[in-house]
Formats: sequence, C-alpha cells, structure tokens
Amino acid sequence: MKDEPRIGVFVCHCGTNIGGYVDVPSVVEYARTLVGVVHAERNTYTCADDGLTAIKKAIKDHNLNRVIVASCTPRTHAPLFRSAVADAGLNPYLFELVNIREHCSWVHMKEKEAATQKAKDLIRMGVARTALLEPQEEIRISVTPSALVIGGGIAGMTAALSIANQGFKVDIVEKDSEMGGMLRYLNDLYPGGRKASLVMDEFIGKVKNHPKIEVHTSSTIKKVDGYIGNFTVSVQNEKVPLDIKTGIIVVATGADEFKPVNLYGYSGSGNVLTELELEERLKNGSLQKLDSAIFIQCVGSRGEGRSYCSRICCNVAIKNSKLLKQTFPEADINILHNGIHAYGTYEKMYREAQELGVGFRKYSKEKPPEVTVDGERMRVKLYHELMGREIEYTPDIIVLSTPLIPHPENGDLSRMLKVPLGQDGFFLEAHVKLRPVDFATDGIFLCGSARAPADIIESINQGYSAASRAAIPLMNGYVQAEAITAVVDETKCIGCGYCASICPYRAASMNEKTVVAEEVSYITRKSYINPALCKGCGTCAAGCPAGAITPNHFTLPQIMATIKAFQQPGAYIYDRIKA
Amino acid sequence: MKSVLVIGGGIAGIQSSLDLANRGYHIYLVEREPSIGGHMALLDKTFPTNDCSMCILAPKMNECNAHPNIDILSYSEVMDLSGNAGDFTARVQRKARYINEEKCTGCGDCTAKCPSKVPNEYNGNLDKRKSIFLPYPQAVPRVMTIDREHCIYLTKGKCGNCKKVCNAGAVDYEQKDTFVDLNVAAVIVATGFDMFDPTHMQEYGYGKYANVITAMEYERMICASGPTGGHLETAPDKEHPGKIAFIQCVGSRDLQHNPYCCSVCCMHAIKESILAREHYEDIKPYIFYTDLRAVGKGFEEYAVRGEKEYGIKYIRGRPGQITEDASTKTLTVWYDDTVNRKVKGLEVDMAVLCTSLIPAKGSDKLAAILDIELDEYGLYKSRDELTAPLDTRRPGVFIAGYCQSPKDIPESVAQGSGAAARATEVAGGAYI
Amino acid sequence: MKQIIKRTKAYYCVECGKCSGSCPVARVNEGFSPRVIVERALSGMKGEIEGDRELWTCLTCEACTTKCPSTVKFSEFIRGMRSSAFNSGYTSRCSQGGLLHSIQRVQSYRDIVQNRLQWISDDLKTSTEGEVLYFTGCLPYFENLFSGFVNPLEIARSTVKILNKAGISPVVSPNERCCGHDLLWTGNVETFQKLARLNIEMIKESGASRIVTSCPECLRTLKLDYADFFEGTDIEIVHISEFISSLIKNNDIKLNRAGIMTYQDPCRLGRHMGIYDAPREVIKSMGELVEMNKNREESSCCGVSAWATCEGNSKLMQIERLIEAKSTGADMLVTSCPKCLIHFRCAVHNQIPVEKEKVDIPVVDLTVAACRALAGE
Repeated sequence: MKDEPRIGVFVCHCGTNIGGYVDVPSVVEYARTLVGVVHAERNTYTCADDGLTAIKKAIKDHNLNRVIVASCTPRTHAPLFRSAVADAGLNPYLFELVNIREHCSWVHMKEKEAATQKAKDLIRMGVARTALLEPQEEIRISVTPSALVIGGGIAGMTAALSIANQGFKVDIVEKDSEMGGMLRYLNDLYPGGRKASLVMDEFIGKVKNHPKIEVHTSSTIKKVDGYIGNFTVSVQNEKVPLDIKTGIIVVATGADEFKPVNLYGYSGSGNVLTELELEERLKNGSLQKLDSAIFIQCVGSRGEGRSYCSRICCNVAIKNSKLLKQTFPEADINILHNGIHAYGTYEKMYREAQELGVGFRKYSKEKPPEVTVDGERMRVKLYHELMGREIEYTPDIIVLSTPLIPHPENGDLSRMLKVPLGQDGFFLEAHVKLRPVDFATDGIFLCGSARAPADIIESINQGYSAASRAAIPLMNGYVQAEAITAVVDETKCIGCGYCASICPYRAASMNEKTVVAEEVSYITRKSYINPALCKGCGTCAAGCPAGAITPNHFTLPQIMATIKAFQQPGAYIYDRIKA
Repeated sequence: MKSVLVIGGGIAGIQSSLDLANRGYHIYLVEREPSIGGHMALLDKTFPTNDCSMCILAPKMNECNAHPNIDILSYSEVMDLSGNAGDFTARVQRKARYINEEKCTGCGDCTAKCPSKVPNEYNGNLDKRKSIFLPYPQAVPRVMTIDREHCIYLTKGKCGNCKKVCNAGAVDYEQKDTFVDLNVAAVIVATGFDMFDPTHMQEYGYGKYANVITAMEYERMICASGPTGGHLETAPDKEHPGKIAFIQCVGSRDLQHNPYCCSVCCMHAIKESILAREHYEDIKPYIFYTDLRAVGKGFEEYAVRGEKEYGIKYIRGRPGQITEDASTKTLTVWYDDTVNRKVKGLEVDMAVLCTSLIPAKGSDKLAAILDIELDEYGLYKSRDELTAPLDTRRPGVFIAGYCQSPKDIPESVAQGSGAAARATEVAGGAYI
Repeated sequence: MKQIIKRTKAYYCVECGKCSGSCPVARVNEGFSPRVIVERALSGMKGEIEGDRELWTCLTCEACTTKCPSTVKFSEFIRGMRSSAFNSGYTSRCSQGGLLHSIQRVQSYRDIVQNRLQWISDDLKTSTEGEVLYFTGCLPYFENLFSGFVNPLEIARSTVKILNKAGISPVVSPNERCCGHDLLWTGNVETFQKLARLNIEMIKESGASRIVTSCPECLRTLKLDYADFFEGTDIEIVHISEFISSLIKNNDIKLNRAGIMTYQDPCRLGRHMGIYDAPREVIKSMGELVEMNKNREESSCCGVSAWATCEGNSKLMQIERLIEAKSTGADMLVTSCPKCLIHFRCAVHNQIPVEKEKVDIPVVDLTVAACRALAGE
C-alpha cells in the first residue's frame, strides 16, 4: 500500500427500497467505526444528481482516496458511480459497490434487524477489500477501419452493403464461385412471389458496383489471428493465398437443406422431392402436370436427433402449394402438418392458400404419415387424429419439407474464429435475448441462417443489424478494452496450458519462451493473456494449478481480506488483516 | 455531431439509440410515457432463458440515461416532421408533467403524501398508484409525473401536498406543455404495440368473472415487484390457483378481430406456465392452442421442456366459452378435446387470456405526421416488405420492432440495430 | 360440396375447435362436433356427412358461427349440406312424427284454402290492404297442436292489439303461407322456394311496405332468405320487439310494471339478426330485467330447431336453461319466439329428471307480456 486508505462510505436509502427495511442511520454510524473509514453519510438516492454531487464533494472535503457506495447492484449502477468518482479526480477503480438492496432489504423484508446486521457485515467486508484496491488503467485499442464478411448470401451481402454505405471498406469471402447463397436455388420468394433471381441480381449488382466492396469468390478461410480491431484473416482461393487485415468480422455463412435419405420414400430421385428440389423444377419448368400433390412437414425436425423447429418450412410449403394450385387449379394439393407455423403476418399467406383450395391436414406426432413408393405409384397414408381414422392419398409428387441444418464446416470456422456453436450446430450468439447478432468475442458478429433458420426478410434484418453493431468500433476508430484483466506471473507458470483450454474468451494462449537459468537455457511454454481479449472473469485464475494467474481488481489478498472481515464481526481492525 | 430522432423508448428504440450514440451520433429519444422501457419493463421473465426482464433491460435504460450522446425526452410526442433525409426538423411536444425534471430527485416524498389514488395501468390496473407517481421503481428518467386527469390540485385547486413536501422545489403546477424543434438527419420509429381489450369477446367473460385475467395482468401478478409481490391470487380468498388455463389467440388469428398471428403468445404462455410451476409446485397449467408456434431459436425445445419437466398440458383447441360458478368463482373452460373428440368442461381456478398485440394507439396519427404508410393491419408499412423492411416510403424515416411487424424481443433488438445502420447510411450521405 | 365450402368460407377452417367448444349440443351429445363435420367436408367425405344422422342434430343456433375466428358460416354450411343430403334421399328425424313439415309442405300448393283467420276477434282491427302487414306465421297451426300447454294465438292477438294501439290496422292475409323456414333448414329448398313465391305474391298484392312479424324465424327468413325474391322492392321487415320498443321510445304507449323478468334470446332474433337490445328495452319499460349468466351472444338455444331435432338432449338443454332462468330469482322467463315458448313449456309439461320446482318458472312471450302490461287496458 502506497497510501493509507481514506475511505468514504455512502449508504443509499433507495427511497423505501432499502430505507424501509434496513436501519440506514445505524448502518452509517457503524461504518464510521470501521478503520480506514474517514467519512460516512446517507443519501435518499445516491444515484440521483444530489447523491453524485455529495460523493464528489466528500472526496474533496475529506481527501478521500477510496469510495464505497452501499446500494444496489453493480450491474446497473457501477458505471455511474465510477464516472462520478473519476469526475472528482480519483481512479474509477478505487470504488466499490456493496449491494445492500438485493442482498439485504429485498430478501429479508420481514427480518429488519437481520437485514440491518447483514448490511453492516457486507459493508465491513467491503471496507476490508476497498482498502487494498489499486488503480487500474483501461487500454485503448486502435481499430483497422475495414470489415470482412464471410458468406455472400443475402444476409452477408446486406451486411456488406450497409457497412460499405457507412463508409468502410468491406471484403466478402465467398466459398462458391458465385454470390447469392441459397437464393441461387430458389424459385419465387415469399411474401409477394417475386422471382428470387431478380432479387439476387439486384443485390449482387449493388455489391459488385460498390467502390468499397471487394469480393473474393471460390475462397475459404484458412486461419484467423488477432482480436477486435486487428484481425488478420488468411484466405485461400484457387490462385493465391491472401492475408486480409480487418477490424471486424461478420459471419454470414448460411445453412444447408437437410436431405432426408430413407425417409418417406426419398431417394434423391423420382417424385419424392425436397422443397429445394421442387423449387428447382418450378424454376426450370420441368415440373409435369399433376393431379395431386402431398407436402409433408417437419421431415427430420422437431423430433429425436434434430429437435428444433426450422421456422421457415411451413411458409415455404405454403408458398409452393399456392404456386402449384395456381399452375394446376384442378389439382388436389394437401399439406400434411404437425401445426402450421405461419407466424406473424405470414398468416395471410396461409389464408390465401386456403382460399385457393390447398388442403391442410394435421397428422399426429405419434403416428406420422406413411409413404409407400411402388415404381411410379405412390401412396400416402395419413392417420387423422381428429376424425380418428386413416385417409389415403395417391399423389403424383410428394414434397418433403426438411429443415435447414448447419453447414458441416461450421466446426472448423468456429474454432478458427474462437466463437461457439450451440447444441444444434448453429453459431451461438452472445445473449439470445438482447445480443442476437453479437458473439461473446468482441469484434465478431453473426447474421442470417448461420445463427438459426431465417427467411429472406429476417436475413436482411439481421444483415443490417450486424452491420450496425460492426460499424460502432469502425466509426470510433478504437475500442476501450476491459481494465480488469488477468495477468500471468511467468515465474510461477508451469506451462500446463489449462488456462488456455478453459478461457471462455480465448484470451489465454501458450507462448514458447526461452528460459535462461544459470548456465542452462531451455525452451518452455508460458501462458500469455491478451489484455485486449480478456474480460476479467477470473476463470483462469481459479483454474491455474500453480497459482500463477491473478485477476487485477480481484487479487487474492483482496478476496482474503473480504473473507477475514466476514469472520470478524464487530468493529474490525484493519491492522489485524495487514498482519 | 449529427443527430437522429428515435420515437419510442421500448427495447427496439433503446437499441437504436445506444447503437447510434455509441458511434458518436446525438440521439433524441422521444417517449410518450413518463419512463422509457416499453412493454419489456412490465414483463416478469423472458423466454426461452427465463432471464428476469427488468434485470436485463434496466442496465440498457440506465445506459441511455447516463449516455452523454442521448437526450431522453420522456412524456413527449412528435407533432410534426418537415424537411428531408439528412435535414429534418421535428417538432416535439413536451407534455407538462408539472415537475421540474432538473430539480426532481425521484425521492418519493410527494408520492407518500399524495391522497389521490387511481388504478395503476403499469400494474395491469391490479392495484392503485398515486396521482404523482413513478411508473415503477426502476423508471428512467427517475422523475415524478403528475397525472393531470386525477390530481386533486390540478382538477379542483385543492390539496397541494406534493408541493408542500418537496424539498427539491420540483413541483410546478403552473407548468405548460412546451414545444421544441429538433434538427435531425434521420428518424427511427419504434412505437411498439398495445394490448387488445378482450372485454367484448363475451364468451371468455373478461371483466365479468374475477378469475379471468389477461396475460399482461398475469405478468404483473407473477412478478416479484408487481402488485401482489409475485403471488398468484384468485377470487374469492386470494388462494393461489390449482389449475390455470392459458387461452391462446384471444383476438388474434381471428378474421373477426386481428387476422395476424402475434408471434409471441405461444411462447409467453409456455413461459408463464413454467413460472407458475416455479412459484407453486402444485399448479397444473393447461395451454389451449391452435398451432403451438414455437418457431424461434431454442423455442421448440423450451415447449417440450415445459411439457416434460413442468407438466404443462397442451390442448389443441380454442375454448368456445368460459362459465363461472358464482359462489366459488371457479371457472369451467369449454373445449373440444382433439384426442377424444369430445367436448369437455375443464374446471380451473384461473383463466389467462393471451390477448392479441395490436398496433400502438395513435399509430395512424403518427403515420400521418411522419407521412409514412400503414399496412392493412395498422402497422407501419415497409417501403418494400421483402427487401427493404426497415425503410418507409419517406426517405430517412425508418421503422423497427413490433410496429413494423409482429416479433419478439431479439428480433426487435435486431431491427433496432438494423435501423441504426440505415440511419447511419443516411446521415453519412450514402443513401440513394 | 365445393360450392358449399366456398360459399360458407369453410376453406378458412384452421381446425381450432372454437365451434365445438361453443356448441351447446356437443356438450350433451358426444357424437356431435362441428369441427369434425367441417374437417370431413374439407377432406372430401361428402357421402359420410350426408349419411350421418348428426347432420340433423345441429340447432343452427350460430353459437359457433358468431365467434368463428375463421368466419366460417357454419349454420349455412349445415343448411347446404342438409339440402345436398335431402337431394340424396336423406331426411331429418322430425319431431311430431313429421306432422308439422307435412302441414308446411301442403301450404306450398297454390290452390289450397286455409282457415287461418278465425282467431281475429271483434275487438281487433285488421285490413285486407294497407301499408303494414302482420305476418302471422304458423301460430294458427301451433294452436291446434300445442294448446295443451301453450296459447300460441294469444301472441297473434297481442300483436294486433299493440299495432291497433299505435293506430295501425294491419293486413292479415288468409293467403299467407308458412315462411318456409323449417323446410329450408331441413334441406327441402324446392318447397321453400314455392312457399316464398306464394308469400311474395301475397305481400305484393297487399300493397304493404312494412311487414311486422312476431316470430324471429319468419323475420330471418323474410329478411335474409327472401332477399333474392324481394329484389327490386323496398319493403321493411321488423320484429314486433323492435316495433314495441320504438313505440315506447316515442312515448306512444306506456306499460305498467309487471314484475322481475329474465330474458331468453331466441337464436334467430339474437345471433342471426343481431337484435338484442329492443326486447330488453321493452322488458325494462315494464319491469326489472335480471340477466341469466349466458345472455345475448352467449345465450343458450332452447334446444330444438326447425322441428328437426327434438330428442333427449334437447330436454337436457331446456332443463339446464330453465334452471338458470329460475336461479336468477325472476318472476318469469320472457322470450320473443313462439317456438322457444313451446319448447320450454313442453319441457316443464312433460316428465323431467329433476324436481319440478327447480324449473317451474312461468314462460311468457314478450308481446303477450307487453300487451298485458299496456296501461289503460
């Protein structure tokens, strides 16, 4: 410790949220008795303007060098108090928030005395820790002002166009020889029935003509190095390998259609088709006149093995059934389904199909339809639960609505990018609710069916969304990295690599080091934690068998002091801990 | 610094504002209600992770409040928009809240002394709030608002308690509506939705039977910070229900009311059933559905878990009628059992109507002000619903969230961000 | 059948089952499900619907139709299917051994002579020509069949008395025929059309521009099902309850207090024609109205329609409704349909599986009650 702690404690009433259950004045009195505390006061709302002003004033008046606010959760309020402390000239990390609302008043509403005592205990523990806090510095990382989009489908093209329109260079890396992704195989699009080729040509035209976009077709990602702002992506195309430096990466690799081999008589040829195969026939005009068609929904989804609903297949079947009915008005078209998922305003499309005379027959999950193919002749048996009987159809074609499934290459890409896949094999976003197109790893974003099955509109929405998220660091030109990071003591590191295997942000890695010891020098592995990637979660420190890793701001002495203070009720003596 | 106007402070508008503010734009976030937060602030948990809604939303609300680039204009409405993309002038009415926003500390001394109690619309009218109030403890901005319809001083010239007790001198009965003109490069409209009132669907007895409630009321009831402290209460004795029926598509997927599917009700009913079971192990939840549309990421799995781990009974069928036993207040839900093909009456202690999410009140008026179109449902119409979902017919005016088309929270967040990207393109002059 | 599906928008059915959940018959008759019937039609099973005795079970009360989220006109669908079944040789299981249907069919012959005006006593003023025509309906025939427990013609007399009170001497025609409602709803469209043509002829001859009915079925039939026949004319058709309520509104008549009443919404008047308020206004002007739990759109049917369905289940429905009426504490159950009156009285009159005192609430026709309450009579 360079300086003796001069701690100020601010206890918040939070209106009646805390004040109604915790005896705040007695908590303040108690705080004053703690060694190291030179000032304690209470505020109705410490987070309100007058509360923040009181903090700043006390720092000046009492020459405080540490501040504690005893109020609510740091998740919502730590940034606010930190910036108030910084305004008064203190390092913002010389601040501690003690949560006496969630931990005391809210959970002990009926035990006011116990709640008050617990508040005192928590503050005592906070004071012990705060005395040992040290200043931390946030680092600024400069950002290469360009983006790399993996995948040239509708989502990737949308993201690329938007980022480019926001003023940044974009490289699109597309593994196929042409852009367009799934659009290349589609016939008409819903809603509205526009030709897929028209939409695709419009987007490809815009991309190709954009001065800030460079397209690399027939190219695959081989290696990704670096971190937000400073990625280097190695790309292999048929000609030469290429290293692209980029500030951010957007993953827009789409998905594949599941081919239901051995299900419902599907063999890859004949008249049992997948939706994409039907689209192909519709597109090239090779569909023969038909009297009857059966669509079967949820083939290979919503069951054992592949549990998810592929979201778009009901709408695709509705779109195609409409088209068949419009082409062959006399034909008997039935969709056998396990619930029609025409969500949102797609309900209208469902109604339109009904108006045209498309039949919708429900099957039960326990007794799915049975298909028998005997040469040209096909039979579909449906057990109709509502009527409690079987119905038999003899269709000319059977269309199987199969789910979109993740690309087999997702695994490789996820390892290179150090981003996770979900259980279903699709890329996993940072937070399913509030960060749908972010990865937990900074600087990498996600859109389209690579995330989960999405239709055209949704892919476009997400493309824009990823473009917005990606443009933030690009426009700022820098990112502020976390100040609370872990550091490695190389003298203690035994090079086991456990930290690198458990780091959720892939910040820990093993470097080869030459160690010179007396007359011998040898090469060994030492852990390195990249401060630009580290989030300060402490997983590595907890896991390190050699105790070589310390998370700044949560050092072992700080944590031990907290625990010791818990064990010593009453007015705690700071010197005892020090000893 | 270029400015962007964001209309609507729900999760979509908040996301737009933060994305833009974090890249250096100045944001005017205009919200009609006293607090930003929208409907998400009124939910208990969110599907499919059961994250506490306010816990994940409040940091974003506070970030908006503390952000140097964001001005929140709460209790305000946009009255006019002139000019063109890149150079709009928006006229905003700042409704008198009779409180000096600079002075108010949100301490609540005034609320404690206010004698006027009115039904609390932020708690589904299940309890009372005062006429000087914060909508909820986490409200942003944390300033009081006086409800001019009900304030005794403003209506009768008597009382004045709040002014007397306010140490900050923030109460100002003389305050008038004011208007401000804002120069903005782009506009994002994210006005969300309102809830369908099922009162006139007499078959379900809402408003007539005490134990028939809406899903929004249920959310408040099961929320720990709600009017019952998280306890499900039924008439007449406030006991928690033994059986709950959730009835889907009340007013939606209904050609007599709202033809579209609201996209979220199947999922929130599953969530609400799971929450019921987490609060009380002996509750038996029933969900009456037409199609169980669990179409989002992880949703189908959530629905299956609801059945296997929480004992939700899914029944395919819309009930035709609810009747009440006048003495016990128990309800009978009349439905057609698909599996047995028999019409049955299921006795339950509570029926929750999962009502339709309809265009926000005043959408038509705002569309006229902004010169953008409405679609056949009264939602804002995209310039091209397939390829330009975020754009409207007026260049520089974008739409995001439920007001564009039915969607859940992550989709609203995605569009909130997406609209921010479009606004940036316009503000940078790249818009063609 | 394709046409029926198209006309009734049955193709919009999403199998949600709200129809069956609303159906009063399905609650007492396990074999009956509107949802299944529509699903059969959509699956192309025409023969099975026509041959199913449950086709005739539907009361066409429209409890389902009014709230169908897919706007399927189920009652019309049933009517269409019945007509199709009738043409294929199937018929309903008529109550009264089909006697009423025979009487109605007989009326479709142009040359028959009816003795249907005997009830017009000297104190009643009627005309042979004039602006207002009172369409009596089947009341004179009902009198012959059901006088054991009801007095149908009192409805007719009361109607004329009230019209007289308003200064109207209505046309009451000896050439009036059954409106054809029951035949139409049991699939016999051809005879219905014959009856309709004869009635139109009679109405046109009378010179009437306004028709008053005391029967909701006549009202519905004349107003909706005769629409094609009436094309080009400008004839107003009102139910007596609307007429009385307008008299009250204009202070043309005054009614004395007549006690506490509860009200049965006849299906045809309520859900078919949307008339809920007029009869209630009449009741409120002569007494206190206490509603049954199920009222207006949610009202339960009296259990029989078009004389096609009277069976054990009908009795169960009637008893349940009477218990509901009795439990309101009202002095009487008022209805504005002669058939509701007959069916409820019939239920009480016959053997029932519950104690009489649970159901023995007087059932009174609205017009009769209003006539009795006329001030100064």
